[in-house]
Amino acid sequence: MGLLLLLGIFALCVTIGVPVAFGLAIAAIATFAYEGLPLLIGFKRIVSGISVFSLLAIPFFIFAGELMLRGGIATRLINLAAAAVGWMRGGLGVVNVASSMLFGGISGSAVADVSALGSLLIPVMKRKGFGADYAVNVTVTSSIAGIVIPPSHNMILYVVAAGGGISVERMFLAGFLPGFIMCLCLAVAAYWVAARRNYPKESFPGFTALLATAIAAVPGLFTAVIIVGGALSGVFTVTESGAFGVIYALLITVLAYRSLSFKDFCAAVGQSVRTTAMVMILVGSATAFAYLLALYRVPDQLTSMLLYISDNPIIILIILNVMLLVLGMIMDMAALILICTPIFLPVVKSFGMDPVQFGIILMMNLGLGLCTPPVGACLFVGCAIGNVPIDKAVRTIWPFYLAILVALAIVTFVPDASLALPDWWARTMDP
Amino acid sequence: MSSFANAIRQLDRLLTPLAKLVAVLSGLCLVFLVFSFGWLVFGRYVLNATPTWVEQVALLLVVTIAFLSTATNAREGVNLSVDIVPLMLPWHRRRWLLAFIDLTLAGFGLLMAVKGYDLTVFAWSTKVPLINVPEGLRNLPLAVGGGLLALFCSVNAGKRFTEGETPPSGEIDAPVKGLE
Repeated sequence: MGLLLLLGIFALCVTIGVPVAFGLAIAAIATFAYEGLPLLIGFKRIVSGISVFSLLAIPFFIFAGELMLRGGIATRLINLAAAAVGWMRGGLGVVNVASSMLFGGISGSAVADVSALGSLLIPVMKRKGFGADYAVNVTVTSSIAGIVIPPSHNMILYVVAAGGGISVERMFLAGFLPGFIMCLCLAVAAYWVAARRNYPKESFPGFTALLATAIAAVPGLFTAVIIVGGALSGVFTVTESGAFGVIYALLITVLAYRSLSFKDFCAAVGQSVRTTAMVMILVGSATAFAYLLALYRVPDQLTSMLLYISDNPIIILIILNVMLLVLGMIMDMAALILICTPIFLPVVKSFGMDPVQFGIILMMNLGLGLCTPPVGACLFVGCAIGNVPIDKAVRTIWPFYLAILVALAIVTFVPDASLALPDWWARTMDP
Repeated sequence: MSSFANAIRQLDRLLTPLAKLVAVLSGLCLVFLVFSFGWLVFGRYVLNATPTWVEQVALLLVVTIAFLSTATNAREGVNLSVDIVPLMLPWHRRRWLLAFIDLTLAGFGLLMAVKGYDLTVFAWSTKVPLINVPEGLRNLPLAVGGGLLALFCSVNAGKRFTEGETPPSGEIDAPVKGLE
């Protein structure tokens, strides 16, 4: 009955539009009251869920992303991608994917990726004769790279939600190859659609121009190198790397690029604080919620239920992928990471899957949810920028969904796609 | 009704500088957080004396940012939510649902404030290690944020009641196309 109350109140709150974080908190506190547990423990769980050292990296990643977003880095990355791959058929589509791979690796946010690159690339693509739906679709789907390619604050959320035992560094390394595979699949889809629609290609600007754009983009790209490299080398903790990433981004955008005004800086601080609060309150509420899920032994029950359906790991993985995809369609990513991880992780572990591999699968599934109606933040932002009705964009998005699903299948059924790099790193660091 | 509407408008105007103050305070916390970690690394590698206060202060600051900004986020309506059902309703119905949500949040904020206060008092005599300040400070943002949430959301609900049948700027007169 308690579990029913917990899930029922949460479902009701979310359905009528109560913010997800409060839906979780209200459901948890009501269930604490129903079970006769002291409410103080419930609220203490919320506070202690936020007061976790490894979570401190999240505001830094968000802040660094905001500074890069407002500090002119996106333009330089697009120039680099345009010089490198713009000469292909439908070159701007492939440029869009490549830019997402570069920018996503820095910002770590899919929505930031769509707003930054979309506002620059979608109008240009439309002007050059590309369909508005194509421009929106390629921008929206390639933005998932921001979640999978490190640094990504969603990976930290996953590590925290997993309750220890996974290192952020391992997650970061695990994201590189799947992110690259996904972008490669998307680039193929972008090329294929462009070829079918006979979209134009740009001329190759020459190796000198390519080198010049690369040199201009390198200082911005170095932000990701500082954050990921600092953490991997052991010189900094992940949190310290995040703080250094912010300081570096500030120095680059103010001193080198001279493109960040004080007004932009204040706007970046304001937006970072808003986003940080949204994520942190979700983490706190989900901690109280997850405490009750564990109390009701939900992960054990789910494992038994899935074992009842099949004991074939492949079938179980397909079922989990479908469940995550459906959940991703209707709820926000951060909330789902925090809710699903404590439930699904014990299940996949019992089937012998590495938690790091599952983390990447989770990111890709929920990332795809950001591009699907009815709740798809990236899709909505992309359609707003491209001035395309959502239903029109969705009608022609399937080649891109298919590309992501192919990448997802590779990551799901080939563990080395995500584990080869972290395993190699572990062997190198500790021979 | 018009005197109620006037009172709500006045109250909302009074709360605007308070919300700005909270936003500025949260922003300063974030900037301090960044530079304190810069100082931590500088102290460890250059001065060879790690400032041990940084981590504990950072945890207090992040809790402060989370609860204070959650209240201002609720005032601005920018917390993450699933808006399919509200957007399926025409504005004259949706505003009642939004008022109900605001009142729910206000009620929860009040509970947060009361329980946050209890937790603060309960843990006041214990000290946070390394910085020697009361442990209760960690729970204080819960109480303050809860109070602000109750205040902001009550006024938001009042605004919904007094807004009338025309959607205010920023709201669309749904049902949104494709969702009805």
